[in-house]
Amino acid sequence: MVSMSELKRAVRTVLLIAFILFVFGALVYSRIMAYSLAPTMKQADFRGLPIWYIPIAYLIDYFSHGWICLLFAFVVAGLIYELIPKEVITKYMSGSRVTGYALALGMAPFLTVCSCTMVPLFAGILYGGAGIGPAITFLLMAPSSNILAILLTGDLLYWELAEVRIVVSVVVALTAGLIISKTPWGKAIEKELHINNPQVKSAVELAKPPLDDRLWAALKFGGYLAKQILPYFIAGLVAVAYVEAYLPEDIVGNYLTGIQGVLVASVLGGPLYTPTLVEIVIGRGLWSLGMSKGALLSWLMGQPYDVANALAVSRIARWKVVLTYMIIAWAGSVIFGILYGIFSGSL
Amino acid sequence: MLRKLGKKIDVEVIGVNPPCKRCEATWKNVEQAASTLKAEGVELEMKKLDVTSKDVVSRYGPILPPAVALNGTVKTMGRIPEAKEVETLLREAAK
Repeated sequence: MVSMSELKRAVRTVLLIAFILFVFGALVYSRIMAYSLAPTMKQADFRGLPIWYIPIAYLIDYFSHGWICLLFAFVVAGLIYELIPKEVITKYMSGSRVTGYALALGMAPFLTVCSCTMVPLFAGILYGGAGIGPAITFLLMAPSSNILAILLTGDLLYWELAEVRIVVSVVVALTAGLIISKTPWGKAIEKELHINNPQVKSAVELAKPPLDDRLWAALKFGGYLAKQILPYFIAGLVAVAYVEAYLPEDIVGNYLTGIQGVLVASVLGGPLYTPTLVEIVIGRGLWSLGMSKGALLSWLMGQPYDVANALAVSRIARWKVVLTYMIIAWAGSVIFGILYGIFSGSL
Repeated sequence: MLRKLGKKIDVEVIGVNPPCKRCEATWKNVEQAASTLKAEGVELEMKKLDVTSKDVVSRYGPILPPAVALNGTVKTMGRIPEAKEVETLLREAAK
């Protein structure tokens, strides 16, 4: 005989899996039918609309097909974060330098959908043994290539850009980590903060809740992320609707193209960055008005020098380290913006 | 009637400073579970710790907040455990 509570659990598990399969299925279906998950309105479509109606029309246009992508992104982010074996990762994080770098690059995209994990992990890597280099690499890799940002870059902009964004993030993050680990002030921090702790591995014995609880927690976390991010995301869409409707194309075309465009985009994109995907939405608006692809990449790469995180990091690793990585990240965004502009034929 | 008391449990909720929403939710669930056990006469000592502090890293290594440690062993990390789950974990630790 199956008990009542076991039956309830089984039903819950099946329902949750069915919902997740539906979300995946919806995305696959939208791909097979090959319709756009990005906004489709052009400047001409806005003509003649009343001012108050412009953002509404734009939001309806976007959400009528974009909901699939958003739902998928949040569900996947929640699932990955919740189901990833965290104890394995944290165990290796206190290992050697090489595994430190590898983990920082490989795991950052999956662990950092929530901004409240970034700085703690940075501190953990720094104190735990892998040192300042991998810690900085992780910090820079994390925001620009997390799973939500990549999925939305691909869907709202285009997939080649999402791929370029990952590759450039890896190169910039690795360079910054390696350089800082060689600077005297980087070495000083490392020496000061390093803790030798060979016995800690026994102190973590995680409890494993049943599958239905984990799936439910994953969906709840996805919902939490959506609640955090969507208000900003929608505000960004409203702003873009007006920008697309009213900003003359030649202004954007004049200022956000060429090497000057890359420089302007790299400076504007940085301070504007908030971990809310807004940079993708606004980047899309500017791109459709004539910003070059090179400038678009610099715009998106602006996030590593976001101010809130820099403040938190400076409390652990001092300003000198923060300034060094900001300069490297900025230089990286400019150099790769120009290179991408040249290679894609859109500078 | 004298209730048989288990040993005292050290409860540590490890989060970030300033506290994030997920850490606060974890703290609330742990508090709820703790009050249930307290009513049964189990002794508990609850502490909030900062995940970036040297003390935490030297004892547990790098961990993901929010985390819950009982008697010096990390039981959950990177997720919000339900109050019921914490209660089960606390009962195990009280044995």
